[in-house]
Amino acid sequence: MGKVIVITSGKGGVGKTTTTANVGTALAMLGKKVVMVDTDIGLRNLDVVLGLENRIVYDLVDAVRGNCRLKQALIKDKRLENLFLLPAAQTKDKTAVSTDQMTELCEKLKEEFDYVIIDCPAGIEHGFKNAIAGAESAVVVTTPEVSAVRDADRIIGLLEAAGIGAPLLIINRIRANMVRTGDMMGVEDILDILAVDLLGIVPDDDAIVISTNKGEPTVFDDNSRPGLAFRNIARRINGEDVPLMNLDEKQGFFGKLKSLFKSE
Amino acid sequence: MINRWPQNLTNKPTILYEKSLRSGQNINFDGNVVVLGDVNPGAEIVAGGHILVMGRLRGVVHAGAAGDEDATITALSFAPTQVRIASHITRPPDGGEYGDRPPEIARIRDDNVVIEEYQPPR
Repeated sequence: MGKVIVITSGKGGVGKTTTTANVGTALAMLGKKVVMVDTDIGLRNLDVVLGLENRIVYDLVDAVRGNCRLKQALIKDKRLENLFLLPAAQTKDKTAVSTDQMTELCEKLKEEFDYVIIDCPAGIEHGFKNAIAGAESAVVVTTPEVSAVRDADRIIGLLEAAGIGAPLLIINRIRANMVRTGDMMGVEDILDILAVDLLGIVPDDDAIVISTNKGEPTVFDDNSRPGLAFRNIARRINGEDVPLMNLDEKQGFFGKLKSLFKSE
Repeated sequence: MINRWPQNLTNKPTILYEKSLRSGQNINFDGNVVVLGDVNPGAEIVAGGHILVMGRLRGVVHAGAAGDEDATITALSFAPTQVRIASHITRPPDGGEYGDRPPEIARIRDDNVVIEEYQPPR
């Protein structure tokens, strides 16, 4: 029996889809059989980020309504044999699927896969309820902004109310230099407010924009810092103990020199 | 001489859509569909007959959806996400670049979807 994990945030644009694509891919790179489910019906993106858009024939709504067999709607990744995508429908809306249908779908998927990663839409309405319906655990993504943290707090409350306790937190798009100067909330500040366990931190990096536009998850790039962060997160989900990455790594020669003098 | 199209298709009704079709919008019509505008990625046209796009075709199009293998898809700029004719399905190769090309037409030839430069019927 596999695990069903929902990736959610409340606020839009904090990196749910990027996280889903990269963590799902990284878990598959660890040899696990993984399916990523896009539940953002009407505003699907996961297929685009993964570069699989042109392979879609059937989608989640078709599978749930029995217009096709579940297997027919699953799209095999073009790079990894053991990675699959169940795309959302684009020309329908979120009411096309019920929470009961989602629960049933997740039950079926976890019989076959080690990990079922659900990409949740922004918001707390029908789409959110569908996305969490079949999930056993949750990963909340936030960015170091007051608004994103506020929404994450709201989501954590809703997850607890729905019986999905102890969500894990990913803090995305951290800029070490801004945290250092006090212009950005730090990891500790955020954990102070949200009081949940930290699953990982992901640095803000141009590599994400490039990989998203290319339809190629950044975890494939050995030199990508967010790629390393997402690979670490996948290893933690898979039960390994991996230390948090050092955000200051990229400070360069002069930065290192400066911090050397500072520590004197 | 007038009819290069098979009789059964020319007799089908045709609708004209006078705007671009955006992501999430779809046209589902048992007949021919003509779009005066672009068909963006994420948009979908399912037609019983032919599909003609007077603009950039970048979404998903399905002509002859009820099984008509004589149906065709024509676009001024042909760069679809996916092309389906009757029960045939094809997609452009990954990482393919679209330069400036003349209008193109997709149709079934010898059981394959063939895409070639559009030549008006003479």
